[in-house]
Amino acid sequence: MGPGSIVVRNLNVRFGEAHVLKDVSFMVGSGESFGLVGESGSGKSTVLRVLSGLNRNWDGVVEVDGMPLPQRPGKAFFRSVQMVFQDPFASLHPRMTIDAILAEPLAIHGLDQPDRRIERALAEVGLDGGFRFRFPHQLSGGQRQRVAIARALILEPRILLLDEPTSALDVSIQAEVLNLLQDLKLRLGLTMLLVSHNLAVVGHMCSRVAVMKLGRIVEEADIESLRKRGGQDAYTQELIAASRRVALASA
Amino acid sequence: MTEEPPLVEVSNLRVRFHTPTRIVEAVRGLSFSLGREKLAIVGESGSGKSMTGRALLDLVPWPGEVQADAMRFKGQDLLGMSGEARRRLRGRHLSMVMQDPKFSLNPVMTVGRQIAEAYQLHHKAGRSEARDRALAMLEDVLIREPARVFDLYPHEVSGGMGQRVMIAMMLIGEPDVLIADEPTSALDVTVQAQILDILEKLVTDRGMGLIFISHDLPLVSAFCDRVIVMYGGRVMESLPARELAKGQHAYTRGLLGCLPDLDRPVRRLATLQRDDSWLQGG
Repeated sequence: MGPGSIVVRNLNVRFGEAHVLKDVSFMVGSGESFGLVGESGSGKSTVLRVLSGLNRNWDGVVEVDGMPLPQRPGKAFFRSVQMVFQDPFASLHPRMTIDAILAEPLAIHGLDQPDRRIERALAEVGLDGGFRFRFPHQLSGGQRQRVAIARALILEPRILLLDEPTSALDVSIQAEVLNLLQDLKLRLGLTMLLVSHNLAVVGHMCSRVAVMKLGRIVEEADIESLRKRGGQDAYTQELIAASRRVALASA
Repeated sequence: MTEEPPLVEVSNLRVRFHTPTRIVEAVRGLSFSLGREKLAIVGESGSGKSMTGRALLDLVPWPGEVQADAMRFKGQDLLGMSGEARRRLRGRHLSMVMQDPKFSLNPVMTVGRQIAEAYQLHHKAGRSEARDRALAMLEDVLIREPARVFDLYPHEVSGGMGQRVMIAMMLIGEPDVLIADEPTSALDVTVQAQILDILEKLVTDRGMGLIFISHDLPLVSAFCDRVIVMYGGRVMESLPARELAKGQHAYTRGLLGCLPDLDRPVRRLATLQRDDSWLQGG
């Protein structure tokens, strides 16, 4: 498959005795948004860690951005795939200014015109230049998550991996960040892989979703068909029911 | 029903922080009473909902200052009470499950010993009895291998398990009132439902009063009896939980509008438009 796509076939990951991913297979087309849902410990984050090159201990076939993923990916690989983590309080260095945080990936990859790139990245996530020389603790949770997204986008990746990007945020801020991600995806043609335990969030962002349980994908489906016909697998049905049980009957 | 005072009565509660440059008002004039029921306090971060719980327990950190026209627990005046008396109430009669297990558990003590210690603090019990109670409590909060988890340190347990450990620790004293600050936010939906069942049973069987602090409106609407909506330390609206979706206040409506819903897909989520007039008056 072409640039921007992800192919995973029979991916297995073991940590010592624990077999945490069991024959995981799925495909994400270029420019598509794909969701992974499941309980904690079901292996969703491990899938992201393999795809982002953070976990080097796996076997199976993985193609990222049209190329087979090597066990030890080189620098160029990390330009095409970037990740946004769950907790914006933990994922930004507390003693670096926003400017330094954004300059670091540029220096690593030897990109030119860092000044212009940093300004553009901040503008893209809706932060004005006044934020550039502040420290993370001077920002709110939503602003910090915007910085984390800017840091991912500054390398102009084709694929964005999102690990629970809004679960640490208030619902009002969650709406703003989800809207921002949608806008960026349309404007930049990004492929997105979104991990979340919130089916409503995945339903809003993605067209297809895979449900994981105990290291396996138990079901893969269109959001549309989940909405209309419910899931095939018992666990999927449970997730949908849980999401509906707490959905508000609107006035 | 016999006449008994409400479990908790609060009238015109104010929490202020004096900083060198200005006075930050975390809670501004909150009044409510709690019976044997599930009362929710909802709002965003910074709305003062956690500070309200801390004020009840006398746990507002320095340099915070708590004022109220009245603050009573089962008819006893909390404001005039000595620090020592407040401390005796805390844990045994009034308990709070804090939000983040990572910061609230002692990192150099196994979780089991922390739960057993909480039991021994309030009951005359030997070490082995406390251990048995702690193991039973871990089982009650649906931890699969209590004997193994008992000997783990806080950094060795997952977020969801840590949250359950804290719930076990707070419930082992069998409090009359439990203040739960985002008790299920780190849990999976399936485990979340089970924890809510435990809390529900305590309210219906033991007649415990529950103050449920959360930012999850749908959850609160499904689980609680009454809801207080807070913004900027002030009450925006107070209404039966089942009618939360029909809330009239612009802030309540704004929060509801931000939520994605599996069954009602929208192209773009609405965002909250804040209004300064919400914080004026009073």
